Amino acid sequence: MLLPWEYGIRNLARRPVRTALTLGALATVVMLVFVVVGFIRGLEKSLEISGDPDVVLVYSVNSEANIESSSITSRTPGLLTASLDGTWLRFGVPHVSPELYLGTRVQTQSGDGGLGLIRGVTHTAPLVRRSVRLIEGHWPRDREVIVGRLAAAKLGADSSAMAIGQTIEFEGEIWTISGQFAAGGAAYESEIWCRLGDFQTATKRQDLSLVAMLLSPEALPAEVALFCKERIDLELHAVRETDYYATLQQHYRPVRILAWLVVVLVSGAGVFAGLNMMYGAVAGRIREIATLQAIGYRRRAILLSLIQEGVLLAAAASLLSGVIALTMFNGMAVRFTMGAFTLRIDSIAILVGCGVGLLLGVLGALPPAFKALRESVAISLKAV
Amino acid sequence: MKMLNWILVVAFAVSAGCSDSNLSESTSGTGVAKSSQYVTSTEPVGAMPVGEARQSAKDGEPVTLVGRIGGSVDPFVDGLAAFTIVDPKVPYCGKDEGCPTPWDYCCTQTQVKDNIATVKIVDEAGKPVAGDARTLLGVKELSTVVVQGTSRRDDKGNLTIAANSVFVRAGE
Repeated sequence: MLLPWEYGIRNLARRPVRTALTLGALATVVMLVFVVVGFIRGLEKSLEISGDPDVVLVYSVNSEANIESSSITSRTPGLLTASLDGTWLRFGVPHVSPELYLGTRVQTQSGDGGLGLIRGVTHTAPLVRRSVRLIEGHWPRDREVIVGRLAAAKLGADSSAMAIGQTIEFEGEIWTISGQFAAGGAAYESEIWCRLGDFQTATKRQDLSLVAMLLSPEALPAEVALFCKERIDLELHAVRETDYYATLQQHYRPVRILAWLVVVLVSGAGVFAGLNMMYGAVAGRIREIATLQAIGYRRRAILLSLIQEGVLLAAAASLLSGVIALTMFNGMAVRFTMGAFTLRIDSIAILVGCGVGLLLGVLGALPPAFKALRESVAISLKAV
Repeated sequence: MKMLNWILVVAFAVSAGCSDSNLSESTSGTGVAKSSQYVTSTEPVGAMPVGEARQSAKDGEPVTLVGRIGGSVDPFVDGLAAFTIVDPKVPYCGKDEGCPTPWDYCCTQTQVKDNIATVKIVDEAGKPVAGDARTLLGVKELSTVVVQGTSRRDDKGNLTIAANSVFVRAGE
């Protein structure tokens, strides 16, 4: 015979302070799990959606996948367009974007600032970077910039400092913010875009960092790679954009492994915290448990009731944490070396967070329950 | 009966030995997948090293080149049967020197510039063959190959061979 369902629930309400404390401890642990898993998912998603399979990046073979250190001649876009048939052409405009990309110190009007990512682009950039949408303001004119949704987070500045009409300073020049853009969570969202010519003048450079080409559906990225192999004198390297970001995913693998390790360690700490609380809770109920045995309840039924209490408490803590994580942490901008990304409390994060929460409830309740049930009924009834 | 057993054992060993030698004979000379129509089993004579070809080969001429696959970390083109070859006279770093990618010629990059050519396998229509050269030809980095095809030169000195047959030297 099982104990009534209400028995466990009433038991939780009988000791409100202890229950609230246990709930708080469990909720904190589950919240930590949500934040760490949200961090991993945000990083993964940002790199996953940053590439376009139809776009090929052409940059210097000597830069070893680091576009910031790449330098190619400014005639490269023209050479590529003239030599390859596969470039997407619409209304006579080849979808080829010459870009100068640099990480440099950016200062806002209020004096905040940090290392910003600046991309000098031409009017063809939005044709190639198809996920980019100007959500506010206008395309940059002379000494103007448009900023990504996460540019402020990348700089560690207040979002008001990156509003339209504000000015920022980099490469010894003052630039006015003329617009804001979004890119569906892609890596560009932490960048600042300005006109290529203006940026080349400010940096006193005439070269480019890369050329991004949008290929027509029948063209193969391998054709661009073959051209780069054939023109050895140009020292170019071509890679599909999705492959480039997949390489970055590999680059950040240790970070992701470390983050999962944190999830395991936090969960482990949570189990011990839960154990501690449940031991306290069960220790004060030894006589009650012995009485239940004396009136005929089997040990298995009592054990199930104790697990029920633990799981109920853990489920409530998981729900509480889930609501807080979804309303307060989901979409929160995080600054990172490669730019910025948002925490993603998605289905995977919820599954892992709630799973850990319920596991804490079960694992936390089992050892103290076993300990209490191991004693003989006669001795337990006399316990103080 | 015992004698019969011994005869059977010896006969089996001899037949196994014979079949092994036949197998090695059929694969020697290429050591690669013979199924590809672009792989030839006999080495063409008069192959020119890459460095020499860069000096003397003219645009549109048929050429036979010998070279070692390499010149960069990734000498193969993903998606097309194409790769770069380096003159065999250019030394590469040994694995015992701790270089994980000896085929990039990192120790002798200055010599590579004038001793490198691009090989692309082309079909009857002259179009590059789609696929991976590694699986199509059974080659890998640092394999020594003798390619026959038509040379293409540009005013910058780059040399490309539109190859229709490749011989892979065994054991290299």
